Amino acid sequence: MLAGYDTLITNIALAVILAYSFHVVLMAGQLNLGQAGFASLGAYISSLVVPAEPLFGSLSPVLIGIPVGAAVGAGAAFLVGLPVLRLRGVFLAIGTIAFGEMVRVFMNNAEWTGGAIGLRVEKWVTVDLAWIVVAVLAYLFWRLGPSRIGRAFAAVREDELAAGSMGVDVVRTRMTSFVASGAIAGVYGVMFLYFFGRITPTTFDFSLTLGGLVTAVLGGYLVFFGPVLGAGFLTAVPEIQKALGVEAGWIHPFITGLLLLAVILFLPGGLSTLFARMRRVPAAPDPDLGALDGLPPLPDRGTPIARVRGLGKSYGAVQAVREVDLEIRSGEVLGVIGPNGAGKTTLVNMISGLETPTAGEGEILGVALGSPGGAHRFAQAGLSRTFQHSKLFDRLTALDNVLVGTHAISRSTYLRRLFWMPSARRDERRARALAWAQLRRVGLAERAHLRPSALSYGDQRRLEIARALAAHPTLLILDEPAAGMNHVEAGELAALIRGLAEDGITVLFIEHNVKMVLDTCTRLVVLNFGEVIASGEPHRVAADPKVVEAYLGAEEEESEHVR
Amino acid sequence: MLQQLANGVFAGSIYALFAIGFTLVFGILRHLNLAHAAIFTAGAFVGIEIATRTGIPIWILFPIVAAIGALAGLLLERTAFRPLAGRDDEHFAGLISSVAFGGVLIALIQARYGTEPKSFPREYFPNQLFQFAGIRVTLTQLVTLGLALALMLGLAWLVSASSLGRAMRAVAENPTAARVVGVNVDRITAGTYALSSGLGTVAGALLALNLGQTERSLGASVELVGFAVIILGGLGSLWGAMAAGVILGLAEALTIHYFDSTWKGLVAFALLFAVLVLRPRGLFGHLKVREV
Repeated sequence: MLAGYDTLITNIALAVILAYSFHVVLMAGQLNLGQAGFASLGAYISSLVVPAEPLFGSLSPVLIGIPVGAAVGAGAAFLVGLPVLRLRGVFLAIGTIAFGEMVRVFMNNAEWTGGAIGLRVEKWVTVDLAWIVVAVLAYLFWRLGPSRIGRAFAAVREDELAAGSMGVDVVRTRMTSFVASGAIAGVYGVMFLYFFGRITPTTFDFSLTLGGLVTAVLGGYLVFFGPVLGAGFLTAVPEIQKALGVEAGWIHPFITGLLLLAVILFLPGGLSTLFARMRRVPAAPDPDLGALDGLPPLPDRGTPIARVRGLGKSYGAVQAVREVDLEIRSGEVLGVIGPNGAGKTTLVNMISGLETPTAGEGEILGVALGSPGGAHRFAQAGLSRTFQHSKLFDRLTALDNVLVGTHAISRSTYLRRLFWMPSARRDERRARALAWAQLRRVGLAERAHLRPSALSYGDQRRLEIARALAAHPTLLILDEPAAGMNHVEAGELAALIRGLAEDGITVLFIEHNVKMVLDTCTRLVVLNFGEVIASGEPHRVAADPKVVEAYLGAEEEESEHVR
Repeated sequence: MLQQLANGVFAGSIYALFAIGFTLVFGILRHLNLAHAAIFTAGAFVGIEIATRTGIPIWILFPIVAAIGALAGLLLERTAFRPLAGRDDEHFAGLISSVAFGGVLIALIQARYGTEPKSFPREYFPNQLFQFAGIRVTLTQLVTLGLALALMLGLAWLVSASSLGRAMRAVAENPTAARVVGVNVDRITAGTYALSSGLGTVAGALLALNLGQTERSLGASVELVGFAVIILGGLGSLWGAMAAGVILGLAEALTIHYFDSTWKGLVAFALLFAVLVLRPRGLFGHLKVREV
């Protein structure tokens, strides 16, 4: 019955493959629009190196072509990615479009490609083969979702800074998605070549890229089969139109355009939104006290874990921080206070690797300040932090937010998940148990399946702390954790921080709520105009005339924060 | 050689005209409007239809085309961009919704004008030839250059000196703050689209006048060069877009002169690629690229 539809069904499969090459970059929030170029390179180079006749009498050229296309696409994506991935958003999109066009013009002018006339090969792709490739891709993406790298993709998509601070190597994650996209596009090129038996440079033009993007977005990246939804939907339109006997050529693009507009306006996650809503919500596991067993021990109390000397940061003529010497010992709760603009956030940004100091040196958990690699290196060494303005992953649930926090202390599970290895399942289960334990600790277990936007402000701050704790940090940095909390909540937070210190976690926190700082910390550092003006036992420091003058002297302003 | 350079300047002025509408929207609203090419194409078809039906002279034709473009721009903003305002994925979704809007518009063009190319009526505009120092220039080319220059200077004046322009710059700087001090941000947004699309339709009609005819792919052929122009000039920089349009036109003309016309596409994109990688803010841009 389906015999007459072979071409149609294969076309759908090809559209799905192309859409997957967009799906993988959309998951990681990277707007790569160079797929046409990768597909073109894959197809042309495959036509060049793959023998035209079956190898050993039975190995069809397309089966050799697929790995060739994938390798060419991946290699090209890597080389293009080195310079281009320094760009983001619209700039990345336009840069990759430019790459695609350069490939097209090149193929048009080279001799071995047959120029504008193109190439002919024998057709080897059957409908079965096309759908086998789709099935393999769908499987790869199915296993990707709840894996460590899948979570890293989502984290990078939502907030690169927060992802890096949770130990995700942002540069590498973006490159991984980019290379995967190139490889899939290369496979698409090869499939196209051996299905239609003919390619020209304009086969792989900008409209092909737009078509793939539209399919992927229409399907949505929320579920692994999004591209199948998108391609099926787009193919259904002309078929329904044919069945209704509407002939006019403009109706098809017209309806497609209107539907696309409707989907993007009303279903922000594409068609996959409909399915993602149906997904069952996993129940909370029983309180698993063993979840925290087997984690590496924290350093002994009193061991120096961080030391900075003469640390300074200037932005042009503005000296935000200067000549700061600081030593942090394991187990202490170090409070940092100072008037607005005193350089507190800049200081912790330098300590956590988000900003490079312009003067001085230091070592945090064995990582030298200013060493290449950025924030994720510090996170992997055991530093974890929250931000002055919460940087939660907005489109992930509270639980998934905290799961990202386990990145730094978990092993990659994707490859093992592909082969259903029990150890991968164990690792994932352990990560979930850790995440639940931290959610319980901050009192958010009941709200684990809500998105951050559905949480109150105080809950969002607590969620961020839970995410930071999931990394099993040696040193936890909290940037104004009590901002926006009422004094009951602030009191609870102070108790939580003292509890963390009892567990041996070293806490450095910036806070304007002086009462809370004095109640919580074991040592107090006061910054003013970027310099340390006092440091030591909290109540003694608070009574220091210099501090009173610089900071507490501004009683009226601060009383607002204390409330 | 000189002839090629002159041709490059003429082509470049059309690129620039396409690109300033594009870059205006990006500079002020941070939207990448991928429907601009379709609006450009619509301008060409509408211009030809009005010229064919009424035979009105060119200086009446262009204001009408611009007005129609402005209306299309208002519709575009209303359907494809405003509903997305405030959403997490506003910018990305806007990219897709503008592709959708462009697709619908091109389909409507096909419905009304069919698939065959359309031409301006013969003798609609006197195609006089002038000779300067060995360079041959048609009247159409002169009108194109003059009109493009006038529109670009007019726009630059509007943005830098008028109160509307001040409001636009305020929105570009910080929409929330602009709203607080009493700027009607919705109206400025709609106005920016109207202005941008009006420029786009005029640019389309001008290119059609130069080519003598148009087809549905007219916009697509300029769109990619348009990207190159706005990146070279610096996204959001009007003067940059103008200069970059002419530079690209010249670069293409030189490529044709020294190599072959089939290579001309490579120049634009190689330049674009190099600028993006080496100097992402563009040759003339001072726009700060915020990553955080």
